[in-house]
Amino acid sequence: MTTTSNMPSGWSRRSILKGGAALGAAGLTMPFMGKAFAQDNTLSFWQFYAPGGDVKPQVDWFVKMVADWNATQSEQVALEYVVGSEYIGGTKLATSFASGQGPDIFIISPGDFLRYYNGGVLQDLTPAIEEAARADFPESVIANRMVDGKIFGVPMEVEPMAFYYSVKAFEEAGLNENDVPTTWDQLLEVGKKLTTAERYGVLFETNPGYYQNFTWYPFMWQGGGEFQSAEGKSAFDSPATVQALKLWQDAVNSGAAPRQMLGGGGGDIVANLGSGYCAMQNVGIWGISAMDNNAPDVPYGIFKLPVPTGGKYVTVGGGWAFVANSKGKNPEAAAKFIAWALASMAPDSIQRVVDWCTVAKSDMPPRNSALTAGGDAFNKGNMGIFGTQIHPGTRAEPRVPPEVYKIISDAIQQTQLGGADPQATATAASQQLDAFLASYSGAPIL
Amino acid sequence: MTEITTTAASDRPAAIRLTTRQREAIAGVLFVAPDAIGLMLFIGLPMLLALGISVFEVDGFGGFKFVGLANYSKMWIDPLFWSSLRVTAQFTVMLVPLLYVTGLGLALLVQRTSKFNTVMRSMFFAPQMVSLVVVALVWQLMVVDKLGVLTRFAASIGLGGISFLGDPNLALFTVTLAAVWFLMGFYMLIFLGGLQDIPKEYYEAARIDGAGATQSFWFITLPLLRPTSFFVLLVSAVAAITGAQAFDLIYVMTRGGPANSTALLISYIYQQAFQYSAFGYAAALATLLVVLLMAVTVFFFLLTRGGRFDYE
Amino acid sequence: MSTNLSRSQANVVRLVWMLVAAVLAVMAIFPLLYMLSIAFKGPTEVFKSNLIPAKPVFDNFVYVLTEVPFWRYLINTFVISAVVTVVALFFHTMAGYALARLRFPGREVVFLAMFSTFLVSLPVIIVPLFILVRSMGMLNSYAGLIVPAVFNAFGIFLLRQYYLSLPKELEEAAVIDGAGYWRISTSVILPLSRPIIAALAILFFLANWNSFLWPLTVASDQNLWVVQVAIANFKSQYAASWNYTMAASTIVAVPMLVLFVIFQRQIMDSIKTSGLKG
Repeated sequence: MTTTSNMPSGWSRRSILKGGAALGAAGLTMPFMGKAFAQDNTLSFWQFYAPGGDVKPQVDWFVKMVADWNATQSEQVALEYVVGSEYIGGTKLATSFASGQGPDIFIISPGDFLRYYNGGVLQDLTPAIEEAARADFPESVIANRMVDGKIFGVPMEVEPMAFYYSVKAFEEAGLNENDVPTTWDQLLEVGKKLTTAERYGVLFETNPGYYQNFTWYPFMWQGGGEFQSAEGKSAFDSPATVQALKLWQDAVNSGAAPRQMLGGGGGDIVANLGSGYCAMQNVGIWGISAMDNNAPDVPYGIFKLPVPTGGKYVTVGGGWAFVANSKGKNPEAAAKFIAWALASMAPDSIQRVVDWCTVAKSDMPPRNSALTAGGDAFNKGNMGIFGTQIHPGTRAEPRVPPEVYKIISDAIQQTQLGGADPQATATAASQQLDAFLASYSGAPIL
Repeated sequence: MTEITTTAASDRPAAIRLTTRQREAIAGVLFVAPDAIGLMLFIGLPMLLALGISVFEVDGFGGFKFVGLANYSKMWIDPLFWSSLRVTAQFTVMLVPLLYVTGLGLALLVQRTSKFNTVMRSMFFAPQMVSLVVVALVWQLMVVDKLGVLTRFAASIGLGGISFLGDPNLALFTVTLAAVWFLMGFYMLIFLGGLQDIPKEYYEAARIDGAGATQSFWFITLPLLRPTSFFVLLVSAVAAITGAQAFDLIYVMTRGGPANSTALLISYIYQQAFQYSAFGYAAALATLLVVLLMAVTVFFFLLTRGGRFDYE
Repeated sequence: MSTNLSRSQANVVRLVWMLVAAVLAVMAIFPLLYMLSIAFKGPTEVFKSNLIPAKPVFDNFVYVLTEVPFWRYLINTFVISAVVTVVALFFHTMAGYALARLRFPGREVVFLAMFSTFLVSLPVIIVPLFILVRSMGMLNSYAGLIVPAVFNAFGIFLLRQYYLSLPKELEEAAVIDGAGYWRISTSVILPLSRPIIAALAILFFLANWNSFLWPLTVASDQNLWVVQVAIANFKSQYAASWNYTMAASTIVAVPMLVLFVIFQRQIMDSIKTSGLKG
């Protein structure tokens, strides 16, 4: 995708609109034009948590944040709730931006970063963030929200991937917590042992999408694989990539992993592990609160991603970030709001991050100070396993343009479910990647 | 509705005397006007705009660049476009005949008026009462690997280890079955309407001539149902190609997977527009879709002499 | 062949016929039983494939009806569906009648143009339509939810086919009496089209009752939500409360099913796809 935002193009949105109106309904639409573009100055903040969300602590967190801001500032912020599935996979956000009226503040995942950045709608937040706060975000968390040393998004959470297992399934197979797999070979072997006529041993996401790619990257990284070399060429055709594709394929071919998920997919732990459909599931940190709230009678354990022979432990950390619309009503004020909310050294800003990751959700905090301030919340129990064992090896979710996402997604799908040869698939995907990267001119792919 | 009262008023002697023919024409135009204007404004105009966008590169954030036919030439070398076109064709070829046969079959089964059949009809139509998201979710549960009701049934007849939605060779067929299940009641209704138009005397006469049930079906029912058949085939073909119902089903059941085996053209358009913000390319793809549909419609209209669907 | 024998044969055939119909009908509603079953299951039991809930609970219905302003969404949906249905039928009967019976220049072209809008699906036009509706100042309003939903070529088409099938003599008499077309349309044609209007009313109402994409796009104000948007909201980023989804869907489906059972006779009698009797 090329950066069209800086292009001196004669075709603006308005001229298209005018052209369109002239096509048929000039008389009807034109008089209302001015009115539609002249709204009040309240900054709209789109997200899928509040005020319409289902989880009360999350709603409260957002409502309180905005109320606190509005009480002291003249630029008011108003929460606008978008149904979650529609925010993430739907038309709503794209329609609002395409029609020239995107929200002033919104949240995005790393998977969407380049689409919005290359579209020229992300506001540089750096001027609003003090240097000490900037240093408070570890490189692994903030890097994929930065371009040329400037910050374009402030992460609200870090969600690392791990494995969950059913204690009951382990017992039935005569296994205990000491049999938790630490290598890929053990993972497949234990997976097979746990497989019965009614249950799958191990579960990886099977639905194509950004999420599937996200969960697959650590397996590629663990053997030292990358999809892009330092010179910006494709690095997809490597032994590490091939073995990662093969791991997922072997899991399905051996009968230990299913070809289809239940409920919301591989990220939905209650529908799969909770229902007994699988014994081990590759899920992120949100699985803790999902299981505790919706499947309290299903005992489970957590272990970090196993590694291949000669490989090195690494996992991937997802999570969303606050961003401001540079074409919004008051981008500077929006940037100030974001910095105040999540990226200031003031104690209430740090506490806000802690609260989001402990009270509202069960996530790792994106800031060192919040990790310290949270104390035991990030060190004890299941959260402690993430805090002490899983999170330290976290690498940020890659940000890729849609074209790159699709090439990798197709490679995973073709090998995992289509039965294609991993080596041949990696070679073909690598050629496609090279062809795309040669013509790509947006912000760096990370 | 001031225009219409005017028409009514013009029936009485007025300043300008109109011929019957003229009055009829004026009334016709005025009667059609509200719908014609509404359709033009809310469907025609947006469609023209959408098609107009196809000669631009659009970034989805207000950036436009005129690129001529570049979006169209891009299609020729886009393997995902060709794959989605192939999937759409396969889906249409499976869905249309299956719907025709099940719709007509069910209608014949319950056409006799009785209390029993009233209940049966309602049961066949019942799937229409729920949203496609619910349909998709329930089907997902019925065909899930290992545990689903249909998976177990398949295993019991020697098809163990089958994956209805996880096997690229089966997934589209499974989605088609779900779509047929959802839609069959609607087409049953249409066929029941058509069956009731066939004069009973024809069957009487045929019976007196010694024709059996099978012969009556082939020589009376089927030929006299031709208008209904045309309608059903046209509407179901349009539905299959636009992916009207399939889109939601597929989104929940497979997300277009596994390995793009259920990615319809409409899903690809949706993905390009809303997930990649490539509105220009999406518009070019949509244009192609409309051209395809036009071709299908013109074919049917030629076959039915201007959409009269009459049988003479 | 004695008549007695053929009568008993006919009875056997009829019985077999009924049996086949009954088996198929049970198969047809089988997936819906799953919906009903999940509506009575607790969150951990949802994805077990047992059809009879092990521990049936009523909590899901209670949650949907008390924790969420579901009544409000039901009322919104009812009002929108009802208004769309009434207005659409008013316009469509006029248009259908004119297209079937009144001769005016360009009639065939208009019909073809109208029919061609049937080929356009919403995702393809949603961005320009959104811009259009916004520029008309109808975002976040009942008008925005209702007006664009009124216009639908499918209904016009079915009405036209129905009017083609009515005998011409009825209105010819009225024309000779010197009645205007508005009067013919309201006092001769409309009463005759009661069955088709009943049928289309159900179909239109049903379509709007379950509509999702447009209401979602045009109304972000939660007070304007329709039931399908509210149901979609039971799904969060990674998981979904399918038990609530199914309970809500059951609540939404039941009135439609009742309506259909009541009116199915009219529906059957009136769907005309041919111009056979005309």
